Amino acid sequence: MHTMSKSTNYSKKVLEHFKNPRNVGTLEGDNVAVGRVGNPVCGDLMDIYIKVGEDGKIDDIKFKTFGCGSAVATSSMITEIAKGKTLDEAMQITRQDVANELDGLPPIKMHCSNLAADALHEAIKNYKEGKHGPAEPGEARFACPAGEAKNIPGLEEFTGKGVYHGYEKPERFKDKRVLVVEFDHESVEFALELTKVTGRVILASPLKDLATNDELKIEVKRSDIKHLKQAELVSISGGTEVEKVRIHDLDENEEYDLFVDAVVVPA
Amino acid sequence: MRWKVVGTEKVVYLDYQSSKPVDPDVIAAMMPYMTEKFGNASSLHEVGDWSTEALDASRRVIAKFINANDPEEIVFTSGATEASNLALVGFATRNRQKGKHVIISEVEHISIHNIAKFLVKNGFEVSKVPVDFTGTVRLDKLAERIRPDTILISIQHASNEIGTIQPIAEIGKLAREKGIAFHVDAVASEGQVPIDVQRDNVDMLTLSSNDIYGPRGVGALYVRKGISVNPLIIGGGQERGLRSGTEDVAGIVGFAKAAEISMANMATESTRLKLWRDQIIEKVLETVPRSHLNGHKVNRLPNNAHFRFDFIEGESMLISFKAKGVAVSTGSACSSKTLEPSHTLISLGLLHEEAHGSLEVTLGRWTTQHDVDTFLELLPGIVKRLRDLSPLTKKEEA
Repeated sequence: MHTMSKSTNYSKKVLEHFKNPRNVGTLEGDNVAVGRVGNPVCGDLMDIYIKVGEDGKIDDIKFKTFGCGSAVATSSMITEIAKGKTLDEAMQITRQDVANELDGLPPIKMHCSNLAADALHEAIKNYKEGKHGPAEPGEARFACPAGEAKNIPGLEEFTGKGVYHGYEKPERFKDKRVLVVEFDHESVEFALELTKVTGRVILASPLKDLATNDELKIEVKRSDIKHLKQAELVSISGGTEVEKVRIHDLDENEEYDLFVDAVVVPA
Repeated sequence: MRWKVVGTEKVVYLDYQSSKPVDPDVIAAMMPYMTEKFGNASSLHEVGDWSTEALDASRRVIAKFINANDPEEIVFTSGATEASNLALVGFATRNRQKGKHVIISEVEHISIHNIAKFLVKNGFEVSKVPVDFTGTVRLDKLAERIRPDTILISIQHASNEIGTIQPIAEIGKLAREKGIAFHVDAVASEGQVPIDVQRDNVDMLTLSSNDIYGPRGVGALYVRKGISVNPLIIGGGQERGLRSGTEDVAGIVGFAKAAEISMANMATESTRLKLWRDQIIEKVLETVPRSHLNGHKVNRLPNNAHFRFDFIEGESMLISFKAKGVAVSTGSACSSKTLEPSHTLISLGLLHEEAHGSLEVTLGRWTTQHDVDTFLELLPGIVKRLRDLSPLTKKEEA
């Protein structure tokens, strides 16, 4: 547990970029390409949009990130580093460069959350291959190696013992306290579905708001779902089954325990 | 209904779980033992005998109160905290050679949690059993925590905060089958829910005098014959050597009188309080939007209603009620010594912000319909005013 609490020991610069991220948004047009990386189990998904000028330099750059504090901060930072650089120069930007500019990242966050460089390189690659236009959901590339998903302690150990991957069989959660990790529309819809079988559904979102459409947002507000904003799943613990999760509140930069009976993560 | 206690006239007192007035009949029973019957129960002369007789009689009453087989199994203490210390520390240190593992639940009173911490510092291992969303101890999780070296299980009869009544008969059965001693903290439930240590296989049981309208500073530990505990207070060997110090005869007589009154009135009193409790729960959930009941709907103490209200903080509710002459309680961190929210509410699976928004109403012997009505009339306005001030409310409505 001690090493995990250090994982959230962010530098002032990381926190500053997290609170006031630069270049948030999307870009459109013929000379625009997007790179998407992320791993739903890590809880990060990142889109980086680049607009390339006639001089071959990155004219404009935007990002959309769904993830923890360091994911947001690294995205924000890389947009600042890459702006104005040629595509070849931008290809040279490494994860380490981004981390250095942010005065370092906690070691455990170096791999799983520092995806910004990968997303930028993906965007450049797509641009060069002529793949322009918006990112499609199916295009997600899981840059985070599968083994690193285990960085959430307990995720693997409790799979089938309170941890469920995917949005199936809501009836098995009857009267249980369920934590749903928000990932996409389906995760939000599933959380709403669960309110029919149990009085305690907690939806943990990495961002300040749900990354879904307005209709679902209103439905969540009207429901009995307890919505945790800027919340990151740190670890899962229990006996033979899940009993507790540890949540990182990114806004307060604090960790706390929450007693639950089940955890639902993306498939 | 018994007569109204002087002093609570000015205040609508809805915090009986925190402290209770001493029943006037109890005070009357105690008086002679502070004046003419002042003897030391250890003295062999007549004045001493009066005290000895009073002690023996009181012990028989308390034994009957919990259906103990033998009055000798009752050890009088300075209160419930001391009784629980004797049960956990006294038993664990005495039985160390049998094992070093003790089990408690997540919803135990803070005193039990802190005694458990002390045991851990002194070489014991403590496991905590989680509860479900109603605050009921999970029997499957309890069974899972039992080890070959488990020597003691300590589970409350009911929660002093959320009022959930625990399945102690089932736990007692399990403990007996496994040959593990079973201690029950009955402070919150005594006088409201009958206790039967023989039927429920309880080996040790903590009682408090004030919680049944007796004087403060008196309690007892039931220690079943055959259960060995080390004394924590060493001296002249009173209370079979388990609790030295000259007995507070007046206090013990008052405790016994309180138990007598309680036994005679428990059924009618509980029925009366339950009606008000249910009236409060129904009305609050109906009239206050985004209000929730904490604890079990059915298996709860007759005098306990415990709520949480979204977007607002409990201490500010408490202060609003105070300004209107109403005394209530909260599990909010702002009202606690440690600035931590109630561990009981957290163990239900509530978030800190939800625990902050809690309000506890506990009824008692002198609660009136007027008290209940006053609370119900004031609550919606207080909640609304605080919600109008709260940024959380705006965020949700935006």
